Amino acid sequence: MSLSVSSRFALRSLLRHLRRTLLSVVGVGVGAAIGLITIAWISGEEGMIVRAAAHSGTGHLRIVPTGWADLRDPGQRLADWERDLRAARALEGIVVATPRARTEALLGFGTRIASVELTGVDPRTERRALRFVRNIAEGRYLTPTGTGEVVVGRTLAERLDAMLEDELVVTVVGRDGEMNSNILRIVGIVETGSREIDAQVCQVRMETVEELTGLSGAGEVTILIDDYRRIEEARSRLATGIAAGDVIMSWDEVAPELLAGLQVDQSFADVTVVLVLFVVLLGVASAQLSGVLERRKELAVLAALGMRGTQMVRVVVAEALALGVSGTVLALAIATPVIHWLATSGVDLRDMAGDVDLAMSGVLIDPIFYADFGAWIVPYAIVLSMTATIVASIYPAWFATRTDPASALRVA
Amino acid sequence: MNDTMLVRAEDVTKTFETGKLEVRALRGITLDIAAGEFLALVGPSGSGKTTLLNLIGALDRPTSGKLTVLGRDLAGMGKSERAQLRLTSLGFVFQAYNLVPVLTARENVEFVLELQGMASRERRDRSGAVLDELGLGELRNRRPREMSGGQQQRVAVARAVAARPKLVLADEPTANLDTENAQMLMGMMRRLRDDQGMTFLFSTHDHRVVDHATRVVTLRDGTVASDERPGVAAYRGAPPL
Repeated sequence: MSLSVSSRFALRSLLRHLRRTLLSVVGVGVGAAIGLITIAWISGEEGMIVRAAAHSGTGHLRIVPTGWADLRDPGQRLADWERDLRAARALEGIVVATPRARTEALLGFGTRIASVELTGVDPRTERRALRFVRNIAEGRYLTPTGTGEVVVGRTLAERLDAMLEDELVVTVVGRDGEMNSNILRIVGIVETGSREIDAQVCQVRMETVEELTGLSGAGEVTILIDDYRRIEEARSRLATGIAAGDVIMSWDEVAPELLAGLQVDQSFADVTVVLVLFVVLLGVASAQLSGVLERRKELAVLAALGMRGTQMVRVVVAEALALGVSGTVLALAIATPVIHWLATSGVDLRDMAGDVDLAMSGVLIDPIFYADFGAWIVPYAIVLSMTATIVASIYPAWFATRTDPASALRVA
Repeated sequence: MNDTMLVRAEDVTKTFETGKLEVRALRGITLDIAAGEFLALVGPSGSGKTTLLNLIGALDRPTSGKLTVLGRDLAGMGKSERAQLRLTSLGFVFQAYNLVPVLTARENVEFVLELQGMASRERRDRSGAVLDELGLGELRNRRPREMSGGQQQRVAVARAVAARPKLVLADEPTANLDTENAQMLMGMMRRLRDDQGMTFLFSTHDHRVVDHATRVVTLRDGTVASDERPGVAAYRGAPPL
């Protein structure tokens, strides 16, 4: 199938000033590539933040008692934690589901005391759900049957001036208001790389918390799935299986401050992409307007011959489409290897910011940022390039329709 | 109105306003053009030839008076309607040829047919046939820069007549041509008029064009100074323009 004459007119017109056309294509291509790299970076950051949050204790999903979202009271317990746990473990795509029971506690050692949130866990599954307790610097992790054992973070141990095998006095307020105390032996000290996080880690078996508080059962079931993009799907499937009185929250509901941080970054990225595209758009509009101005006589002749405004607009838009297609190819050629490199090698923030503490709102952030690489790049490249060129062609197209056909009879 | 009248102008005026300056280009033109005429519009520069051609070609609208082209009153027609009239019923030949430089001879001819919405195969056949008919078959794949001025103007005529318009308007069509090419062009257009009954209206200073005309209308200061037919002998005796 051959091109229409008006399409040939549009395409060959672009070739009249090859250098100008090439510069326009480079502008569109580079602009769209910057946009793609920014989007890939932010998308990668989103994946990383979700992963970091999920593995820092938040989980992708968390089953909590009704009302927990408002009170955030560690003393609240699930209506039927065992049923909730079974339902979670039966979920398709489940990586791990683990129960936790929390309580506020006072740790004492010698003349030193520290206020902590004591977390009762299931040692068989906890380490798959919480990355903080994977790095045992000294000793070992909790065992499923060990009694009176505690694992603490390095900062907390230093505050108490305690070491491995030291015995701490733990005091909590029981369910009826009585003070309950017990002895906990430090069996392991963890180092996460963040002193802030290391000041918070204090884990015992769930049964220990039950004994200290007099409250039975778990206060939450934390769930990790294999694909964070399917959180909502998993939540709706899980909703029918959990106990009445318990509710499911997603990671961003558990830690809204992380979502807010992500949204700020995304807004910044959106503004960056819009600004870059706007600059590209102005460049393309300028080049296209020059093209229209140079062809005013030709367009006047065509108008005199009966070419209507809509047909003239089609010619200018066809030129824009050709620029857009070329720009898309160039954008992909530039952005694909860059994004692939960012996605595989990543950027180590420590190279830029030094050896800083990368904890944020109790979440340990990966020091290496990876971009998101995938087939999504192609449609995004098309949308970015085409949007810039088509929008840029509106004014030149309108200008072309204003051509006075009577000027065709005037000798240039 | 006589059915054979393609154009009827009644006391047509056209005034241009440039800032505070008012230029009266046409001051009451009354003129009928019948189907099949080969009419030369002559007169000195500034006499209103191009303005009248613009009005009859539906490129502009008169300030006052009534101008009917192919039975349609131009005063009541919008921009789009006038474009449609030009596309379907009028042909134009310009002094500077004005072919689209990036298109071949055939594509230039085909373009007008495409604008009319003619199907691809039909317009290829039609453009090829018109170029062959005008002896331009060998030039069909050449672009304007690869042709002489005479060849370009003949292609421009092919473009003007390909859609088989009822009226062809030509603005100084031989102004940039040597005698041989001018004669060839006029002969070609005369044949189209004789064989296909097309009506031609020229604005010109060129006696080589006037010699072929069946009617000569002379404009002076925006009015019709004389209207002669058969104009050849009468024109030859007239004082130089």
